[in-house]
Amino acid sequence: MAVWRLLILPALAIVLAGCSGEDKVERAVAAKERAGCPSAVKPEWQRLANRVKAPVYCPSWMPSPLDAEIGGQWNSGGALVDKDRSYLVGFLWHEAGSGDVHVNFRGYPGQTAMPRCIDRRRPIPCFSDPRGTKRIGNKKVTIYTVSRDADQWHVTYLWRRNGTLYTVSEHVAPPLTFRRVVANLDRLVGGLELIRPS
Amino acid sequence: MKLTRKQLLGAAAAGALGAAGIYELVDELAEAPDRATAGVLPVEQHLLAGMKVFEHEGVEVIEPPLHHQVVTAKLGVEARRSELQEARETLEHALRKLERRYDVTPAGLAVTVAWGLPYFRRYVPALASRHIPVDLRASRSKEAPVSAVLDARRFPSDPDRAVLEDNDVAILIRSDRREHVADGARAIFDEAGDLFELTSIRKGFQGGGFSGGRSLPKAMATAAGVPGADLIPETAQLFLGFTSTQLHTQGQSAIANFETLGLVDVREGYFRGGTNLHLSHIHEALEAWYLDFDFRERVDTTFRPRFEAKDGAQTLPQRPEDAAGEPDVESDFRRFGAIGHGGSIQPTSRLQMDIRGTDGKLYRKGKAIPLRADFNTLDNPFFWTADPERDGFDERPAAGVHFLTFNPSSDDFHRNRLAMDGVLPNGTKLPLAPRSRAQGLNSVLETTHRQNFLVPPRAHRSFPLVELLR
Repeated sequence: MAVWRLLILPALAIVLAGCSGEDKVERAVAAKERAGCPSAVKPEWQRLANRVKAPVYCPSWMPSPLDAEIGGQWNSGGALVDKDRSYLVGFLWHEAGSGDVHVNFRGYPGQTAMPRCIDRRRPIPCFSDPRGTKRIGNKKVTIYTVSRDADQWHVTYLWRRNGTLYTVSEHVAPPLTFRRVVANLDRLVGGLELIRPS
Repeated sequence: MKLTRKQLLGAAAAGALGAAGIYELVDELAEAPDRATAGVLPVEQHLLAGMKVFEHEGVEVIEPPLHHQVVTAKLGVEARRSELQEARETLEHALRKLERRYDVTPAGLAVTVAWGLPYFRRYVPALASRHIPVDLRASRSKEAPVSAVLDARRFPSDPDRAVLEDNDVAILIRSDRREHVADGARAIFDEAGDLFELTSIRKGFQGGGFSGGRSLPKAMATAAGVPGADLIPETAQLFLGFTSTQLHTQGQSAIANFETLGLVDVREGYFRGGTNLHLSHIHEALEAWYLDFDFRERVDTTFRPRFEAKDGAQTLPQRPEDAAGEPDVESDFRRFGAIGHGGSIQPTSRLQMDIRGTDGKLYRKGKAIPLRADFNTLDNPFFWTADPERDGFDERPAAGVHFLTFNPSSDDFHRNRLAMDGVLPNGTKLPLAPRSRAQGLNSVLETTHRQNFLVPPRAHRSFPLVELLR
């Protein structure tokens, strides 16, 4: 009898937690994510889409303490756009002794081939060691555990849409574990809004 | 009653000897393999009968025991002949009792007792200077006699804080069954415990990943929640993803004995059948390994640049005929700016010519000399330590390896280890920055402790040379 009580009580607690105020907060956050790119940051993402003449993805959620404001306090140097219109938008929080939270968004308009990076004077894939695929919303993403250049030590989610390759990556470093980063990327990619050039 | 610090430490160590901690999970996660039974006890303490050899991914692999424990200690015995001889009898009695109770195989229990230079210097200095074998090759290089057993040293890629230890004794206990290891440790230290002041207890596991299901290292690291555990391949034998006990990578028969290859002069023969043990602990940065090196790079750096491997392979052939020589390592470095772990040590760890051993066996060119007994651990860096501050003890589990290897001499091991850092036996120093990415595997390893020990033959394993004191 006592054993049953031990088993039932935690189960009951879980059921009750499902109806708690905490759950309401979760639902509110989820609704906000479904609402898409926050209006405060959307104009800069729109400007990026116009500049690269291709759709870009703006996040509705970012891992704390980052936000998605291009040119904001966490953004590294605005949106970096190459001659071939490929772009990198990075957001970084760093505190000595505490760690990093670093998220990069990339797009390669008009390209679907794996981008190449230079390592010891030879071109190598920028993303390697694929670790399976998953469907998030309407995107079929491939997960890469080895990434190069500005994405070094990041887990990268990569997908293609209408002839363009996109990636979102996050750095695995304290305070984040690999598992946490994967959970963050699931949520991040699940909340992306496509911004078309206007 | 007020306990002294020594008594408190003794009580804590006694508890830790039999405690399983997280290693209890090994029994739940892996089944002990079927093993052959032992025949005659070998002269050597370091050889294990009944090891299972099987094929994995087309390569012959040795399956080592599942559970491992190393206990290090200083001696609490006065340097007097009568006390030492009594101590010798006590320890030998405990060891013989265990040999009557268990086969000396992984299915039973294997105990190896190794002695540090501090023991010889303090208790039997005159006899040691007469009997400890002399390394002939190292003596030729130095143009002066060099002992076959040397104090540990740091290597170029070792951090300055790596502790060079000075234990009197190390006892290695191995079995497929945790209760055998616990029983062995208790039997030795219940009977002979007064002789020892324990300095550390180190525990871990090996193997268990060949049946196709989730491997032991993967399951243990995941259960412990160590960073990078999720990135270990499902069936990997070791945390770093590759099998390391290929038949051809392990010294066979008596090749690692002092006397077999003629590298060492065993003088009057007291230590014939003995060997050198190097014992170290190494942290492994799993996230760095799996996030910074892709599969191809992990192969390049674990074996040799461009070493052939199917995608996702874990057990790669290490045939004698493919062993790299010094020109190969130098050529790899020139072409790729990097060296592989396996390739770089082969010029020193593999025979460079056929040699007829003193045991009458023909050891062919390319055969491995060292006999490794390393095992994965979640100790950080030890399961228990008498000096947590010095040893950097942390209760949080960490991925690592207790690296044990038997070589014919300390210098032989040192040559292997230097080669890993690009210092080749012909004196060539490849310009590799310590722990740089070009050093591959070394860049994710961090050695915390090192010591060399003399492993006497079984007949002299308890307080060696003491019976000769007059």
